[in-house]
Amino acid sequence: MKISKSSKLLLAVAAMLLGSGMSGSSIAQDKDPIVVGYIGSFASDTGLSTIRGAEIAIDELNAAGGVLDGRMIKFVKADTREDVAEGIKAYEYLVESENVDFIISGSIDDVSLGWLPRMAEYKTPTLDTWTSYVGIIDLVVNEYDKYKMYFMNIACDEALATLYIDFGKDVLAKEMGYTSTVLMYEDTAFGVSIAGLVEGLLAPEAGIKISEKIIYDANTVDFAPLFNKAVSSGADFIYLVSSVRSQVPASQYVKLQVPIPMTGVNVAAFGQDFWNDTGGLGAGTSTLSPVPSVGMALDDRSAEFITNYKARYGSERPIYPHFNGFNAYYGIYTAFAAAERAGGFAPLDDWIREMENEDLKLYKDGELWFRYAFWKRGEIEPRTQREYTHNVKFDITPPFDDGSPAMVVVQWYEDGSSAVIYPPKFATGKFQEPSWVK
Amino acid sequence: MFAKGTNKGFLGWMIFGIAMLALPLFASSATVRIFVFANYIAIFAISWDVLSGRTGYISFGHPFLIGIGGYTTALLTHHLDMPLYITIPAAVLVTMIAGTLFFLPALRIRGTYFALVTLAFMELMYGLVQVVAPDITGGTRGLTGLPSIVTGAVSNYYLSFGVMFTLGLAMWLLIRTRLGTALGSIGMNEEAVRACGLNTTKLKLFAFTLSAMIAGLGGAMYIHYLGSIAPRGLFDVSFLFTILVACLLGGAGTITGPIMGAFFLTLLLEFLRPYIPGSERYLIYGVATLVLYVLQPRGIHRLIQITVNWFVEGFMRRKST
Repeated sequence: MKISKSSKLLLAVAAMLLGSGMSGSSIAQDKDPIVVGYIGSFASDTGLSTIRGAEIAIDELNAAGGVLDGRMIKFVKADTREDVAEGIKAYEYLVESENVDFIISGSIDDVSLGWLPRMAEYKTPTLDTWTSYVGIIDLVVNEYDKYKMYFMNIACDEALATLYIDFGKDVLAKEMGYTSTVLMYEDTAFGVSIAGLVEGLLAPEAGIKISEKIIYDANTVDFAPLFNKAVSSGADFIYLVSSVRSQVPASQYVKLQVPIPMTGVNVAAFGQDFWNDTGGLGAGTSTLSPVPSVGMALDDRSAEFITNYKARYGSERPIYPHFNGFNAYYGIYTAFAAAERAGGFAPLDDWIREMENEDLKLYKDGELWFRYAFWKRGEIEPRTQREYTHNVKFDITPPFDDGSPAMVVVQWYEDGSSAVIYPPKFATGKFQEPSWVK
Repeated sequence: MFAKGTNKGFLGWMIFGIAMLALPLFASSATVRIFVFANYIAIFAISWDVLSGRTGYISFGHPFLIGIGGYTTALLTHHLDMPLYITIPAAVLVTMIAGTLFFLPALRIRGTYFALVTLAFMELMYGLVQVVAPDITGGTRGLTGLPSIVTGAVSNYYLSFGVMFTLGLAMWLLIRTRLGTALGSIGMNEEAVRACGLNTTKLKLFAFTLSAMIAGLGGAMYIHYLGSIAPRGLFDVSFLFTILVACLLGGAGTITGPIMGAFFLTLLLEFLRPYIPGSERYLIYGVATLVLYVLQPRGIHRLIQITVNWFVEGFMRRKST
């Protein structure tokens, strides 16, 4: 049968219409994904921890059939390069170009402060997993309507410091008998603020005198003169505050066999890579760490998260997630649990209400171990007698049966192992002075 | 009154202005936001160009001036709740006074030494903001929740573009006057300018104050656009490099060149973001900058000039044959 040109054309048009109709109906069946945005550094161990924690949670939720009536979650990322203006551009990009429904952040303090006005403008639900600046929580407390979409699931620095003072009193002063310290800190935002807290609280409350203050450049490579100065001050121990290349002072402390103990805040020591980074010279370093930390016993669900993490990322650093990796993992679960009850991330007030009611409790041997809940508006923390609206529901009073402890103190031993040494409920080891300390 | 070729250039400004005014009509909100950043970087680049591009006094401390403007308005609004129509002019005034501080070393030194002294100004300011009265300045973390001049992408776009365009056009016209020629001559041979009977001290003071005024205005408006201010975001070498690279890549001393450079850099980095979200973007940015600079050391401005001339000459040749 011969088909005319016009018939061929008609057939082609019909085929096209049929095709477009079919693809149209298949599109209708595909639901739009829920878009989760990550804002933070791509290069740092802490940034990577948040990314990976979120990735694992998202993949688990997608594998379980999706969220909000079977919708898949799409994960998009924007690098801040730990720069304030880049952070603002990254936030704009996530909201304006990627149309995210929810943002999970691994930003540091000033970067989070930078994009906060954009968050308030766009009204995008946002969860911070790394920054612990209490000033941001104060904004939520004081200007709730403007900042109510912000949640922070790491205990704020004030809570960290309060519990650390207990360590100072119970271990450094009472158990070890220390009465004086040298406060050695880097000239960064982090260094200056933590040093301020130590100076304002540790000294007066734990009865430990600060005999010398040494501020050093974050790029310092030779710590010998600084350690000499610290030792010659006659203080009982060094309180180090270091977040940039923190493995350098830690390894030189061992190499130079500095004859007084050293504790404080060493961000590099938060991660399992610390021992390798110091070339096996990380002994003696003890540091305050948000939870869950290295060396900490884990509940079953968190242990399973670690198994999945190791299976997925192998020997890629960080080989063990920093605390904010856990925060991101559970943060995704809590945010979506709230969204399921609220029917999505919009209307915003519904999601906020459900997020405020979120309460993920993790038990170990029948005891409350970690808790991902949030302080509600108007709720007063009993010890400090103040509000921490939308901060994770930390606990700073033993026996820690109302929430996760605000922090733990971790120590690295001479055999390369690490243990939690404070508070006693979570301790897996004891505070030890290095063998070369007389 | 103006140098030769001003009319042709003016036509270019008009085309640029109309295109930019029409941009929000067809660009997405996300793109408009990118252009807002480009406008502010262009304002800072104009400020640098008026001083360093013309007089040859290379400033590595421009973030100091931008920061003075930013912090002045931030502190006044944050702590004293003063309205922006007072705080922004106050910021400009304070920055102009600070500009005279900048000017002092220029009375005795120039070249590398001057550049290093201005860099020290920036570092000094970085230290001061963190140490002196951190309760007031916000210390290392800075201040957030600063009021906006206008809200929304499009309003901010028109505001930043209006300021950038006005300043850019005014400075472009200025450099085409005898005063502008005298400033440019300082960059070539300051002794010769003095020998001609011109007061180079006054000329330099004028350039420094004018540059400071633009930096102060840009800085004040920029931080109200951002809504926050932090010392690490302003007194930082990477912020300084952004301004310098915009000027050098665009074509220093031309005013239009630094604007082109600012747009090229900002747009390149942001348009690459969806495809290369990590820091690898900066590698491409580095390579592109290097290639362009090697290709035409006088910058994008010159490259465009050559291209336009080539087309015009080709068209004329064809017309005459």
